[in-house]
Amino acid sequence: MASLPPPARRVAWLWDLPVRLFHWLLVGLLGFSWWSGEQHEMDWHRLSGYAIVGLLIFRVYWGFAGGRTARFAQFVKGPRAALDYVRGRYTAAPGHNPVGGWSVLALLATLTVMVGTGLFAVDVDGLESGPLSDYVSFDAGRTAAEVHHLAFNALLALVALHVVAILVYLVRRKNLIGPMIHGRRTLAGEEQAAPLGASWWKAGVGVVIAAAIAWAISKGFRFR
Amino acid sequence: MIPTRAFRPIHIAVLLSVGCAIAAPAAAPSPAAIVAARQAGFKKIGGAMKVLKDQLASGAPVKATMVAAAQTVAAGAKEQAKLFPAGSGASSGVKNDALPSVWSDRAAFDAAMQKFIVESGKLVTVANGGDAAAIGAQFKATGGTCGACHRQFRAEQ
Repeated sequence: MASLPPPARRVAWLWDLPVRLFHWLLVGLLGFSWWSGEQHEMDWHRLSGYAIVGLLIFRVYWGFAGGRTARFAQFVKGPRAALDYVRGRYTAAPGHNPVGGWSVLALLATLTVMVGTGLFAVDVDGLESGPLSDYVSFDAGRTAAEVHHLAFNALLALVALHVVAILVYLVRRKNLIGPMIHGRRTLAGEEQAAPLGASWWKAGVGVVIAAAIAWAISKGFRFR
Repeated sequence: MIPTRAFRPIHIAVLLSVGCAIAAPAAAPSPAAIVAARQAGFKKIGGAMKVLKDQLASGAPVKATMVAAAQTVAAGAKEQAKLFPAGSGASSGVKNDALPSVWSDRAAFDAAMQKFIVESGKLVTVANGGDAAAIGAQFKATGGTCGACHRQFRAEQ
């Protein structure tokens, strides 16, 4: 009896291009921000920070306007769903699972604190400072710089957790890294997948909004 | 009326340490008092540098404000040079960021301090001139002396 040929591997989009670009640009810029900060290359450090401000604004916008798996409404679930997921009682839809969703929010919140305090931070000599530091006192700017340092440690912890989780899934034969690069996942059996519905023009609008706000912040809202 | 400006933390710290010195003529001011005065002094200088930077960034700098800030920096530079007596480093048990090289390489430290005094003196001169571009350049030159000394003689923050 002739055996059936193996079924063709069918794929579907998991992450839209803006999500993937956001992710990898953020990885690169975080590394560069760390390096430039350590080297006291503050002009570069500020530029990198403005780029991250733009990325964050875009990502929040994309959380409402993006493809299905990019949207907060799709992956932000209550604690019950997260607990059920941990206990293996929750069948997650493709995309961030309920625990991963909280991890995304925690990372975004920490990054917001990071760049938010950086904008107001002043160094101990009053020489280097964020673009909004002239709106606050020296003491407030110093406090912002201290929180900026503390938030970096929190961010490192979250990144470590993120990487460990990816490795755990890898050991359990689920590769999360590939889809974040090429954007596709393999469909199981007879599964049918709806398109993500990410729109080019909406992405363009988001880029313009994010770039404009980041530029205005970098100027300290002074447009003379 | 006594101007309230007269009572800044550094003055209180200095008065206290002087007071202690008078009360116990044999004893020098305690390391704790010196470190407190030193840190308050640097903080005041940092604050004045920020005032200058903010003025320059505002696009409409006020000359009197910049002159006052430059004078604070220049006066502070001269005061700070006196606040590093032997035995006031971290080894005194008082937590501070001054590295042992301040005392082991004293000549280089004093030279670095002298540069700060000279550049901050010029800062007052250009501030009085009122040319924003020149003030900006001298702000950088003065800040450069801060940074150079800190890289060599202060623990990484």
